[in-house]
Amino acid sequence: MSVDTLFDFLGSIIPAMEGSGLLLVIAILIPCLLLFLVVAVNAIVMVYAERKVAAFMQDRVGPMGQGVGLHAGKWGLLQTVADALKLLTKEDIIPKNADKLLFILAPFMIFIGAFVTIVAVPFGENVIVADFNIGIFYILAMGSLGVIGIILAGWSSNNKWSLYGGMRSAAQIISYEIPAGLSIIVIIMLTGTLSMQGIIQYQAGGMFNWIIFANPFSFIAFFIYFISVVAETNRTPFDIPEAESELVGGFHTEYSGMRWSFFFLSEYANMLVVCAVAAAGFLGGWHSPIPGYFDSNGWGVFWMMSKIVFLIFVMMWFRWTFPRLRVDQLMNICWKVFLPISLINIFGVGIWTLVFG
Amino acid sequence: MSSEQEKLIAELIEKGLAGDMDSINAIEDRVLRSKVKSGLAKAKRAAKNAAVAAAKESSPEESSAEIMPSDHPNQKFAFMIEEKFPDSLADTLNDTHIQIKPDQWFEIASWLKSEPSLYFDSLQCHTGIDLGENMLEARYNLHSMKHDHKIEIRIAVSRDNAHIPSIEQIWRIGDWFERETYDMFGIFFDGHRDHRRMLLPEDWEGYPLRKDYEVQETYHGIIIPKVKEGWE
Amino acid sequence: MGVVHGEEMVLNIGPQHPSTHGVLRLKVKTDGEIISEITPVIGYLHRCFEKHCENMTYDQVIPFTDRCDYLAAMANNFGYVVAVEELMELKVPEKVEYIRVIMAELQRIASHLLALGVYGLDIGAFTPFLFMLRDRERILDMFEMTCGARLLYNYMWVGGVSHDLPKGFVETAFQFLDYFEPQIEEYNKLLTYNKIFIERTADIGVLPQDVAISYGVSGPNLRASGVKWDLRRNDTYSIYEKFDFDVCIGDGGQGTLGDCWDRYYVRMLEIKESVKILRQALAQMPKDGDVHQALPKKIRPPKGSIYSRTETPRGDLGFYIESDGSPIPTRVKMRSPAFTALSVLGELAGGWMMSDVISILGSLDIVLGEIDR
Repeated sequence: MSVDTLFDFLGSIIPAMEGSGLLLVIAILIPCLLLFLVVAVNAIVMVYAERKVAAFMQDRVGPMGQGVGLHAGKWGLLQTVADALKLLTKEDIIPKNADKLLFILAPFMIFIGAFVTIVAVPFGENVIVADFNIGIFYILAMGSLGVIGIILAGWSSNNKWSLYGGMRSAAQIISYEIPAGLSIIVIIMLTGTLSMQGIIQYQAGGMFNWIIFANPFSFIAFFIYFISVVAETNRTPFDIPEAESELVGGFHTEYSGMRWSFFFLSEYANMLVVCAVAAAGFLGGWHSPIPGYFDSNGWGVFWMMSKIVFLIFVMMWFRWTFPRLRVDQLMNICWKVFLPISLINIFGVGIWTLVFG
Repeated sequence: MSSEQEKLIAELIEKGLAGDMDSINAIEDRVLRSKVKSGLAKAKRAAKNAAVAAAKESSPEESSAEIMPSDHPNQKFAFMIEEKFPDSLADTLNDTHIQIKPDQWFEIASWLKSEPSLYFDSLQCHTGIDLGENMLEARYNLHSMKHDHKIEIRIAVSRDNAHIPSIEQIWRIGDWFERETYDMFGIFFDGHRDHRRMLLPEDWEGYPLRKDYEVQETYHGIIIPKVKEGWE
Repeated sequence: MGVVHGEEMVLNIGPQHPSTHGVLRLKVKTDGEIISEITPVIGYLHRCFEKHCENMTYDQVIPFTDRCDYLAAMANNFGYVVAVEELMELKVPEKVEYIRVIMAELQRIASHLLALGVYGLDIGAFTPFLFMLRDRERILDMFEMTCGARLLYNYMWVGGVSHDLPKGFVETAFQFLDYFEPQIEEYNKLLTYNKIFIERTADIGVLPQDVAISYGVSGPNLRASGVKWDLRRNDTYSIYEKFDFDVCIGDGGQGTLGDCWDRYYVRMLEIKESVKILRQALAQMPKDGDVHQALPKKIRPPKGSIYSRTETPRGDLGFYIESDGSPIPTRVKMRSPAFTALSVLGELAGGWMMSDVISILGSLDIVLGEIDR
């Protein structure tokens, strides 16, 4: 529900404060709280899913338990809860010569970068906190805030390995934003609007109206976008910044306890956002693939979530299958392969639309 | 030096050669005493060389028969080394190893590697060993990939003056092998470009694999227990 | 225009590090990402093996040899036992020879699986590591069936082995081999021919032949540079001449001859050859015989010395043993293949990037227990 409807709704039930600033603040806070809950639940579920998916792909079972409350819950469902409790009770270590303010600030910066973008993500027909008319532009812009956090983390740890990780990561994220952004331009060219709900409305009417099938150039654009966001969220095969076997932990080597878990919370929140953008922009958002069936109001959330979940599963699949790319090979691919292809895509989509209407 | 002094020195050297060291030690003038002693050492050495030369002269057939190798490859190699580098063998020919003196070792090693019929291009193992009686020995096991033959070369040095020329520029693995032997035995390899300990910390005292090694009392303030009891 | 003046950074990889295969410290001088000089510093795992040997009898040394290269303990036992038996001129019964070869080849497969899996892990591929470990577990189960231990066996004794093969061992081994051969194809699909893996390993860390021989590199590292040298063929010991197997050499399949991919691939091929040898050995082994009949009552080798080498999964393991006729050796020197492999790292790694150094180090397959003894 957007902030506006909530504001009006609250005004109608408390007529005395209708139109006041306090009501506006409450109307903003409630969805944000809900969103925070969404992010937290997302993290819990995704951590568990990652471990189970990894385990099944590696021919083992992963976290298992015998029943509620016993060990890790039935099928290990309470594993993440146990992890969270453990991390909360850990000693908070800050290295002696670390830049204390920046050290504490860094996880927050990354989390902010991930959290503010969720505000504009549509989960259903009316389930969106703020439907900006520059929605997708806002998401791309705010998503870049995360880089500041990573650089701060790498620098302030006073550790050469963290510095390496921070620098590598900054280079990687900034570079891969360009092919991602250029692929989004393909969407904008076709739909003519920057608003998220507007883009989804354009794809109404079944699977073949989705932008991914609109023309061959947008098909390629989807894959370019998807691989670029895998690089942006620092997932394998692009997880050089946190390469465990080389840099011990990259930019989060010196962090422990809850601070460390913030990095992963934000990584999963980032994954959620970029998969949501991919689903909304290329895969039809909350529309069902078959027009007319399961298309009513409540089903929108279901379709959107299932598309997001599928894309997240593919990201996890990548992680456990592919080895890691080296930093210069990574940058090579971005600047020498993806960038030309994205530019050709934009050109091609324009010409295609001109010729075929 | 006056001729009187020279005569006195010569007299005392004669007495020393005969075995009478007391008269030499009783000399009060330190300078004179040292001159006599050094003259005595020279005389002893000269006498030994003369004896060896005399022995060689007196039995030429025997000595040439001694250095004629049998068919065993080891003896053939030793003979070749002796031919190319005279006076480098330190022992008679045998079937297991070649004992050489340390002075010409670097030249011998380069020749062993480059000579086409030998072509020992691989240093397989480098062992240090404490022979007791104040002698340390370094043993080199060489092998040829091309001809598939091998030899063992042993170089014995005394404990007080343990210097052997380094061959790490010939066989590059010699770099690490020689550092390890230095670390464990205290044999110095002259010409090694990076001569430091390998396995033990830089500030460790002593050479562990020598038979008379006593472990040090403390290391950086930690007491090293000598009596190892009650550890279960 | 002036030249941008950068400073070289001195960095320490290790001694505690997830991918240095033990406690190894690498002093690295880097300029940004490019390494200019690398110096290995060892000695963190030195346990005075050679000094201990001077206080123990010949058979008491065997558990100590296990612990040197703890990932291929059977091979270490084999090397030592062959050396002592050659010194004593002791003949062992044929059944014992077959058992020893079977155990050594199984150990070779297990060790290579671990080496390849860990190499994949260093590169970033998590899954092949677990698959290979799963198969290695089956081999360790077979070892446990025979002598009760999974990692450090004390199995091969001077003159025999400690336990005879249990009932059902041959069937289990054949079952394992039948299950395992198609798995090798799966590993090839997953890792060996993966484009990203090839990009990370091909043309990196090229080891020329003469440099390799001068540095004493042996085993799969040497064979990957194209030198056809395998001690089981060229300097035969035990009964290896009875088996028909190829000596695998690298051929620059995906890049230059002697690069990291070749070293990885040679190990993969060797696993196949070991499977071949195992099949022949299991079929030809005499069914009955007493494995303890040649155990000497007291091990007193004659005065003398010997240098004997065997082929372990990591290369040429050499034992130089000097005896003076007493039951306690005067000197036991263990020449480990990983020691020589690590010494060549300084030559190989100059001019590469940080990730490549990890890649090169993993391809050399070192075990610190063997290097430091």
